[in-house]
Amino acid sequence: MVTLASIRLDKVSRSFTVAGATLPVLAAVSFDVPSGGVTAVLGPNGSGKSTLLRLIAGLIAPDDGAITIDGVPVADADQRVGLVFQEPRLLPWRTAADNVAFPLELAGVGKLERRERARALLDLVGLAGFARAYPHQLSGGMRQRVAICRALARDPQILLLDEPFSALDALTRERFNAELLELWQRTGVTILIVTHSIAEAIFLSDEVVVLTDRPGRVAARVEVPLGRPRTAAALDSAAFSRAAATIRSHLSGRADDLAAHEAAAAPIHDVLERAGAPAWFDPFGGGV
Amino acid sequence: MFRLLRPLVVLSLLVGTVACQALPGPSAAPVRLTVGLGFLPSVQFAQFYRAQQQGYYRAAGLDVTFQHEIDPNLITLLGQAAVDIGMADGTSVIPAAGQGIPIRYIATVYARFPSIVMTAADSGISAPADLGGRSLGIPGRFGSSWIMLQALLASAGLNPDDLDIRLYPDFGQAVGLQQGQVEAATGFRNNEPVQLGLAGFDVTVLDVDAITPLPGPGLTVGESTLASKRDAVRAFVAATLRAMDEISADPEAGLEDAIAVVPELGSDRATQLAILEATIEMWRTPYTQAHGLGAIDRDAWSRSLEFMRGLPDSNIPSELTVDRLVAEDLLP
Amino acid sequence: MTNLKRLTNALLPIVAAAVVFLAGWKALVVIANYPDWFLPAPEVVAQRFARAWLDGTMWRHASATLVEIGLGFVVGAGLAVGVGYLLARSRLAERLLSPYIVAAQATPVLVLAPLLVFWLGTGLLPKVVICALIVFFPVAVATMVGIRSVDARLLELGQALRATRSQVVRHLELPAALPQILGGMRVGVTLAVIGAIVGEWAGADRGLGVLINLARGSLFDIPLMFATLATIAGIALLLYLVVVLVERALVGAWR
Repeated sequence: MVTLASIRLDKVSRSFTVAGATLPVLAAVSFDVPSGGVTAVLGPNGSGKSTLLRLIAGLIAPDDGAITIDGVPVADADQRVGLVFQEPRLLPWRTAADNVAFPLELAGVGKLERRERARALLDLVGLAGFARAYPHQLSGGMRQRVAICRALARDPQILLLDEPFSALDALTRERFNAELLELWQRTGVTILIVTHSIAEAIFLSDEVVVLTDRPGRVAARVEVPLGRPRTAAALDSAAFSRAAATIRSHLSGRADDLAAHEAAAAPIHDVLERAGAPAWFDPFGGGV
Repeated sequence: MFRLLRPLVVLSLLVGTVACQALPGPSAAPVRLTVGLGFLPSVQFAQFYRAQQQGYYRAAGLDVTFQHEIDPNLITLLGQAAVDIGMADGTSVIPAAGQGIPIRYIATVYARFPSIVMTAADSGISAPADLGGRSLGIPGRFGSSWIMLQALLASAGLNPDDLDIRLYPDFGQAVGLQQGQVEAATGFRNNEPVQLGLAGFDVTVLDVDAITPLPGPGLTVGESTLASKRDAVRAFVAATLRAMDEISADPEAGLEDAIAVVPELGSDRATQLAILEATIEMWRTPYTQAHGLGAIDRDAWSRSLEFMRGLPDSNIPSELTVDRLVAEDLLP
Repeated sequence: MTNLKRLTNALLPIVAAAVVFLAGWKALVVIANYPDWFLPAPEVVAQRFARAWLDGTMWRHASATLVEIGLGFVVGAGLAVGVGYLLARSRLAERLLSPYIVAAQATPVLVLAPLLVFWLGTGLLPKVVICALIVFFPVAVATMVGIRSVDARLLELGQALRATRSQVVRHLELPAALPQILGGMRVGVTLAVIGAIVGEWAGADRGLGVLINLARGSLFDIPLMFATLATIAGIALLLYLVVVLVERALVGAWR
């Protein structure tokens, strides 16, 4: 089992210099990720979501503010963190098992131990029979699963995922979301996932951190009041659509409008839910 | 009517040109001969330059062009009749004829074989047997000098493996001898020993003439050229031998003719004269005294043929005879 | 498709081309009635080829040339990969070294060879140097291009996994650049054959270049000259195939 860790971001700012001009990407971002929990970071393009992940992973340093994991500041390429990129980034010349074992090999772990660990992880994601396959023989989804195994190879306390399923079709994506939750339940690792998809964010996490457009600031932290384990049915619940609506409003800046809108609509939503109406049916025509 | 005019004019021009080429006019056009001398312009070719300068070739109805390239393909070109006459020695003619290349040696120019071994006069090496275990510089393990070396060593029961052979692909083996890098070196009798002597470095010369009489360079012709230009070739031989005779009696005159064709030779007359006199020495042997300048010594050819047949790596068929190698009826 | 069928399909165009070539050659000799000492017919060359191998002549010279090629290639390619990596990763190195490398490449090897023989003698060394020089450029350029084109995203992965510099080179950069490098080696290995022959022409005791000169200028054995040319072509082809096979073994699995 992994030892759990919490992440704390305290007024983290970061900008990049491009062609002589300074581009602020993140401005005073602060939030917590509780240990053992799942947190989603949601925002439009340019909100600095990917930069945020790289700061937490220790690949780049903040200009201002501090990031700590369990109270200890984040180190350069902090090995308490396992990183899953948007593309699988597997080494084409290695088999799936050797790709998973790669971080262990770099760390000097013995061959037998590496092989066992790789097999165990691939088993966990249902790829036991594909240990000897090369990436070009695997589908996109399978490659991303291998990447997740690789990120877990060194038993990290935290798993960071950068829009890991954005290249997959919607149906596969839903399945992978369920699988990720299963994996989380089995390993208990703290998860921080960056995503574009409101549905994905709500389905997976306990809390959604909504970022604004550049420079990224925390627009809101929306709690997800759904129980665990999460099922497909949760996707159709009223609580889900309320959370989605809240998030959407923060994204588009209509937060005040929506609060009033919701206050007026609440009793009718309950009536409709009891009557079995689908979540997308809004008698006031505002759209979910 | 006018439409016919142009093609008619063209046609008559064509016919006229062809006719002019086919019919011998009242003064026949001179026969063109390309002669491959096989080396860079040198005072050694004084006889050719004299015959050119004094008009002997022109008087014989010949239009002679000389080629001065060091071309390893010269023999093949003679066989193809791409070059009419060339300078070649027995160590080339024999294997070439053995491979079926149709050439004939028609006049001796060098009655003594030019390729020799030289050693420092004070080295104590005065006979082939003394070469055993010594270092020797040679351009490469091929060519007339290589054959000469094998013949020289064979007379003492040695072969090249008994020596420490050093390669000088830039032909600097004489310099190597002078500087003491090697104890012996190959060279050409009328060239390096003369120049070294003039520079104060005396050498002992070892040659194969008394051992294996390898035929020196002479005029060589392809068989098809012999068939088609026989009279012109004979005239060329006669004119060249005449020039050789005159130069033998008056070397200075030969030098003047050479300088007229190759002005660069005039920059060091003393050296060039020495080389020319050494060259003249090689045109004459007891055999040529008896049989005339240019005479072909069949016995020497026969013995050389046997010798070359016996060399390792030799490919010379047993059917080859001296009759296939030489033709004496082009001599005056 | 069975392996046998695949093999025949691959070989068929090659065999067909060879047949057309040989038939054309033979036709030319017959029609123009060329003698053996000018342009020998294919079967004459084949006979001479067999004889030269059987009596040991060809191997005596071929073995010398193969040693020159082998050593020259190993030295030249080895240096080239190292320098190519340096050029790829250091802008300073590229600016400093490129002019010299390009100048060395532009100087014809035919001109350099006699100079090298003059300085280094007529033994093995100058030939190895000439071969190495001629192999250097294509392999260095291929390495430089290959290393430069390594996916930056893989390098970021390396950073995230705290790979040391040598681990990055060994596990990320070189494997990624390998197809390019091997491509450069394909070219290099055939050029090495030329380098060895040119080196021998500048001065040597043994070797296929020496044998060509001997056959042409001393023995007047033109069929032997052609047989030697065939041997040289065969060696170049063989070496090229070796690189292709190595490429297939190292890279084929994952492409």
